[in-house]
Amino acid sequence: MATRAGTPEKEGGGLGRVFREEFRNRERRTAYYMILPTLLVILGVAFYPIAVSLINSFRLSLPGQPGGEWAGLQNYVYLFRDSPFQAAFINTVVFTVVSVALEFVIGLAVALAINRAFKARGLVRAAILVPWAFPIVVSAVMWRLMYQDQVGIINYIVTALGLIDQPILTDNVTVMIGAIVSDVWKTTPFMALLLLAGLQTIPGDVYEAAKVDGASRVQQFFRITLPLLGPSILVALLFRTLDSWRVYDLFWAMSDKQLESLSTYTYKAVRDSQLLFPVGNAAAVVTFLTAFLIAIFFIKVLGMKTSTEA
Amino acid sequence: MSSVVAERAGGRSGSSKRRGRLSRRDFLRLSGAGLAGAALLGGAGCGGGGEQTSGVTNLVFSFGPDDSGSLTQVVDRFNEEYQGEIQAEYRQMPSDTSSYFNQLRTEFQSGASPVDVIGGDVTWPAQLAANGWILDLSDLFTEDMRSDFVDATVQSCTYQDKVWGVPWFTDVGLLWYRQDLLEESGFSEGPQTWDELKEMAEKTSRDSGTEFGFIFQGAQYEGAVVDGLEYIWTSGGNVLTDSGEVLADQPDPITGLTTQRSMVEDGVSPIAVVNYKEPETHTAFLNGSAVFCRNWPYMYGLLKDPAQSQITPDQVEITTLPYNEGGESHSGLGGWNMYVNAASEDKLDAIWEFIRFFTMNDEQQRFRATSGGFLPPLKSLYEDQEILDSQPVVSIAGDALERALTRPISPFYSDVSLAMQRQFAESLKGAVTPEEAAQNLQQEISSRIELGQRLLVEDRSG
Amino acid sequence: MTAKGVSGGDVWNRILFYAGILLFVLVSVLPLLWVFKMSIISKGELQASPPTILPQDPTLESYAAIFADAGFLRSLLNSAVIAGVTTVVCLVLGSVAAYAIARLRFRFKSAFMTLILAIAFFPPVAIIGPLFSQFSEIGIVNTYASMIIPDVVFALPLTVWLLVAFFRELPFDLEEAAKVDGATTLQAFWKVIVPLSAPGVFTTAILTFIFAWNEFIFANTFSFDDSTRPVTVSIPSFAGVFTVNYGAQAAAAVVVTIPLVILVLIFQRRIVSGLTAGAVKG
Repeated sequence: MATRAGTPEKEGGGLGRVFREEFRNRERRTAYYMILPTLLVILGVAFYPIAVSLINSFRLSLPGQPGGEWAGLQNYVYLFRDSPFQAAFINTVVFTVVSVALEFVIGLAVALAINRAFKARGLVRAAILVPWAFPIVVSAVMWRLMYQDQVGIINYIVTALGLIDQPILTDNVTVMIGAIVSDVWKTTPFMALLLLAGLQTIPGDVYEAAKVDGASRVQQFFRITLPLLGPSILVALLFRTLDSWRVYDLFWAMSDKQLESLSTYTYKAVRDSQLLFPVGNAAAVVTFLTAFLIAIFFIKVLGMKTSTEA
Repeated sequence: MSSVVAERAGGRSGSSKRRGRLSRRDFLRLSGAGLAGAALLGGAGCGGGGEQTSGVTNLVFSFGPDDSGSLTQVVDRFNEEYQGEIQAEYRQMPSDTSSYFNQLRTEFQSGASPVDVIGGDVTWPAQLAANGWILDLSDLFTEDMRSDFVDATVQSCTYQDKVWGVPWFTDVGLLWYRQDLLEESGFSEGPQTWDELKEMAEKTSRDSGTEFGFIFQGAQYEGAVVDGLEYIWTSGGNVLTDSGEVLADQPDPITGLTTQRSMVEDGVSPIAVVNYKEPETHTAFLNGSAVFCRNWPYMYGLLKDPAQSQITPDQVEITTLPYNEGGESHSGLGGWNMYVNAASEDKLDAIWEFIRFFTMNDEQQRFRATSGGFLPPLKSLYEDQEILDSQPVVSIAGDALERALTRPISPFYSDVSLAMQRQFAESLKGAVTPEEAAQNLQQEISSRIELGQRLLVEDRSG
Repeated sequence: MTAKGVSGGDVWNRILFYAGILLFVLVSVLPLLWVFKMSIISKGELQASPPTILPQDPTLESYAAIFADAGFLRSLLNSAVIAGVTTVVCLVLGSVAAYAIARLRFRFKSAFMTLILAIAFFPPVAIIGPLFSQFSEIGIVNTYASMIIPDVVFALPLTVWLLVAFFRELPFDLEEAAKVDGATTLQAFWKVIVPLSAPGVFTTAILTFIFAWNEFIFANTFSFDDSTRPVTVSIPSFAGVFTVNYGAQAAAAVVVTIPLVILVLIFQRRIVSGLTAGAVKG
């Protein structure tokens, strides 16, 4: 029984031949069977609905009503002109950029700090994992309680310090800041851990050599740490960026549905409103496409590797 | 290692036909296991509907949480009285009215709802009827019967000149204020107009050192739609008429929105009201932090309870809402009605008994009023001594109900409401001017209605 | 650290360093402590404005209230079932797929991995509408299945990714040895690889469980009543018709989070190595 498919396919043989070659090999056939269930689930539950959303976005229909008249790009035009959508889009961009930037900087600082051996390091590592374990919704409810104008401790402190003149939850700007703080609190540990892992793969003698050459700490950081950490940074940034881009739970619970993100807008249009359902599908497609573009950007432009060699 | 592996791999085990081949059974077993397991376990949780079994008609009645416990008791009483004939089951739905409605709508859209009798909000009949999901009750709920009910409540069940529900209990917006503080500042009577209210609020809060002059619901949600509409109505304006005319962009509504905004601008109300729903409102008022407060009658129950309130009922006076010149005092109507699932027509006789027991039975209504603080929809009960003794707020509520108005009756109310929610909140926050809000409202509601008429294939209420 | 002798600058650096660490730890843990405080004070003290720093009137009434609430207890059960089943399904499907990727050779491997990764980037909200229609048609709305299925889909990338990393760590000649002894590929998988990677599988299970436990958007959409609602949905809506019970929300938050925190603390080493192994080896 052959266990290796060593025959290279000929030019012009096409995909059909490739498939046949693949399936002739037993090991490979097994492999395909093994990935088949996962593949089916993913295609069926994720990609099929997005195709349906896409089709619906070009139609005018009500939820539960099949078909519907063809509307071309009408829904998209309405969408981009709709000021709540524009606000939601801007909110999402601002939230993503600021949150991820802060999480990165603070996370890196924490990772660098923990990387040095010191007492109680294990304890610290354990403590910073605590925020990560919370469900986002619970965390958001917690922070909202702290921001609330009657019983919230943070609102009280911040008002007493004279930093704001109206309660946190009444002004969209401060609500956004509050949401960012909550998100940074919750996910910086995760970022720090990812970066820490990357740091730990950098061999110590590189630093030794640099020190011998007289490089300062700062120089070491910029010339050695950052470049070697590059791949880990990109992975961490990509995941965090896309996570923030999809923000829903946090905005929903923290702002009591007042602050909109791309996802909350889409959800509202698709589920709460009857008539905005077609527009909601367009919003869903836009949300998906933008997330896709961000991923492409990271992978192609920034050269992030998604290696899969055995 | 090798021998262990050999031992485990065996020679020919039953599940493998040929060396190196993945047998179909193995494959199916693997991939089917998880999904099948999930599907099997997923069977739990679906609510059952009522069916006919051995002569007893089973009914399912839906409503939000039964905080006071009085609902469950009335259901028990009904079951006791109709034992052997009809048995009713109370199915709890989400506490938030919009969520409750969404769930109902979803169930109807996916083909069936297990609910026979719906305890629904006053804003729902048009939407439910236009889609053909509830029954026309005009023949059962005769004109004679209707005359026993408060007019506004019957109006809230009406759409296209037909009556689609029976009022169950009602609610109305009221003005509450600290009579003791007002007297100290030299005011012997409550305010008639909004301007008077502002004046009194400013002076009284200054004199007594009370934190807030006037608080009300201003958050972006359905409840604040009532507040916003109250300002508009008391200025003589309206937003959407029964015939579908959009009147938002007119001087009177703009005056109303301006009045609302001026509460915050002039410092009479704290900016925090843009986050206020009912809980925040009653918390602040019962803490003694406000002179005036716009809220529903439920607050009386909390006011009486020393564990929940720092102030006592004799410090508080309740009255109808103020108005602007050219307008009259109009409170927003709240409350809940009973609607019948169109698919349950075969059980209509039993259902009608159930509805009558809850809505037209003086004893049950009295019970709900005294133990739960639920305002009865029957006119006669507003003179009922027992109710008046236990819930003094009922008397002023009765007055307010005479001139209460319902929110716009439209088959697209969900979307109309979303538009109002947003514009009222934006105007209150000062993010847009009242004029802009009125314009936006006009444009948004008109376009929604137009879109709705195109999409709603047919209005099945006709 | 080079030994320079204890100079003033060095001590100062040290102090700053530890102060920074302390600050970071405090910030991480304080919100949890605050919520805990909110859960053990009375209703009256909860409404105190300005809020009190230390509990003045400690009571367990909030906890009593939530444990007396059948709905809340049921939601704990619901969360456990949903997260549990999701984890099992993910492990079954994911381990099989991860094995193929990590240890077998076949074309289209990178296409498949990209597809799986794409799910990790997917905005769930983009499929809620159609998924809801589909589930309504099949009739599984408001059942466990309606939440387990999307959870599985969105947890699979994590599961596969982690398991690929773990499987890769095992020596390659294991399969060869097994084949020599007459095992099929699948038998090699079940009987050799899986037992040996048990620690990795275990870690993956924990992380998958936490992920499914914390899921919100699908749960919020597909669960309608107490019989299926998990804790992530029931906590924000801890409200009666006109009242919000802050104490109950705080108590529920504590109850829901404590097990997760304990789990995380006990297994933190494994969790950290799992998360980072996946990330670094890519």
